[in-house]
Amino acid sequence: MSENPFEHNLLTHKLCKIADHDELPQGKTQVAAVNGREVLLCHTAEGYFAVDNLCSHAAARLCDGKLKGHRVLCPMHGGSFDVRDGVALSRPATAPIRTYQLLVNEQGIFVSLPDEAT
Amino acid sequence: MTKTVDPSPGAARASGPSIADTLARDAIAPPAPILQSQYEFLGDDDIPVERYTSHAYMQREMNELWPRVWQWVCREEHIPDVGDTYVYDIGRHSVVVVRSAQDTVQAFHNVCTHRGTRLFEREGCGYSGGFTCPFHGWSWHLDGSIDTIPGRWDFPHATEQTHALRPVRCDTWGGFVFVNLDNAAAPLERQLDVLPQHFAHFPLERRRIKLHVQKRLPANWKAAQEAFMEAYHNFATHDAPNGGNTQYDIFGKFVSRFIHNIGSYSPQSLEDYPGDKWRRPALTEQEQLQMLSVFGLSSDCVPEGDTARNVAAAELRRRLGEALGTDLSGVSECMMLDSIEYHLFPNMFLFPGVNVPMVYRFRPDGDRVDHCLFDLLLLEMLPEGTPHPVPPEPVFLDVDDSYTQVQALGWLAPVYDQDTDNLMLQQKGLSSAAKSGVTLGNYQEARIRRMHMTLNEYITPPESQP
Ligand code: FES
Ligand code: FES
Ligand SMILES: [Fe+2]
Repeated sequence: MSENPFEHNLLTHKLCKIADHDELPQGKTQVAAVNGREVLLCHTAEGYFAVDNLCSHAAARLCDGKLKGHRVLCPMHGGSFDVRDGVALSRPATAPIRTYQLLVNEQGIFVSLPDEAT
Repeated sequence: MTKTVDPSPGAARASGPSIADTLARDAIAPPAPILQSQYEFLGDDDIPVERYTSHAYMQREMNELWPRVWQWVCREEHIPDVGDTYVYDIGRHSVVVVRSAQDTVQAFHNVCTHRGTRLFEREGCGYSGGFTCPFHGWSWHLDGSIDTIPGRWDFPHATEQTHALRPVRCDTWGGFVFVNLDNAAAPLERQLDVLPQHFAHFPLERRRIKLHVQKRLPANWKAAQEAFMEAYHNFATHDAPNGGNTQYDIFGKFVSRFIHNIGSYSPQSLEDYPGDKWRRPALTEQEQLQMLSVFGLSSDCVPEGDTARNVAAAELRRRLGEALGTDLSGVSECMMLDSIEYHLFPNMFLFPGVNVPMVYRFRPDGDRVDHCLFDLLLLEMLPEGTPHPVPPEPVFLDVDDSYTQVQALGWLAPVYDQDTDNLMLQQKGLSSAAKSGVTLGNYQEARIRRMHMTLNEYITPPESQP
């Protein structure tokens, strides 16, 4: 993985494979359990993004919602988030959700987690 | 040179060939509804300026027009799956449309039946397994029936009859979802009138949204849409020769139309316009083809004896047919090229054209009398058997944003910018109330008058009768 953009982070971050390449069609999401937390992988027209699976409002699981463009829609109260930066886009959700850096290559899609999360 | 002026008002027309003359000369005849023509003189009194500037009039519209009229909310492909929702705001009213079962679309007031909280804050697409109010957590099934009332012991008086979500009338036509907040309103078909018949040859449900732009405009919603109901302004505003002989049709209270040619024009129709432009000398066929270069035509030469209109239509049939995977070889010049614009009262525009395929909607921006929201869709034919793709999210443009920020608008962007500049000036002028009324041409601006006459049937303050 010589072209790993997170190489400089490797001491403090670790990479976990969460999906195979080409596994997830564009417009869809998929949950992966990584170190006890649920990460939502989102395949948008702009590429792959990963966010926390729990809504920042009342912890509904975003995987039960829907991806529209670069917005993930919470199934509970109409909250939504930009999956590119986690920013809350509509009430009642106001706090952002966490985002994760991804590495995408032929071997698969890897999420970069800080080591303290292990 | 001037045609004999018919003394009866509204009977006069521009000199020179009419749209019907052009269509009769075209190689392929357009579908029958395009050849229909219907006009009658509707009066020539001024339209009171207060309709565009008065908060009181705006309130009457909010109370008497918008809650009683069918209006388009979204496309069916916005809500393909059970649980998909679309929130639509009109002034202070808000409606949520939901696909509650595979073949059922329902609509509800976007309001909690407990203490009135908005259920969804934001207009547009959503998705939900049911509806939950963020305040105390009451919830409803997708069909509006009560799911949970936390602490139900305290609400013996809240029943399905009293506290289900408040339904809103909902219907579909041509792939569009319409709602009417008046549960006693006449059915949608009454308002659509001739539209289903006029669009039988152009099935709108077999179109996809290629682009959706929503822009805030600096004018009352009626002033804004009226700028799109006539092509009389083409000469002065857009520096274009082809608005002079536009055909205007009024098909009843709710539906009107204009047709103006693209790729041909009438120099005689401009005979009393200032200057000699496009009259002395008239444009050659070659020059007219050059004006169509905005369509990205590769042909730049009109063969001897042929017309720009023919050459352009032939190339577009080939090119768009290939791009869309559809055979367009039998499509008339008119359907390929012309700007054919239907208006459905109160605020929807539909263009049955292959190269000019827009849909517009104008509505008040919240409770602001001098601003409005303009939704602009470009539709594209869906080839036979192709399912609807996910529609694109709207691109938002604020008052000062130029349409040129949206690359996909191409040649249309500067045209719309010119219209916006006028609207800002017009709203300013109307607000200064130098004159108490707006004057309309008997023929070219008759669609605007028809719109106001129908508006009168909803809102009837005697002092505002045009
Ligand atoms: S839990 Fe997501 S909006 Fe309430
Ligand atoms: S206001 Fe909606 S649950 Fe109380
Ligand atoms: Fe215009």
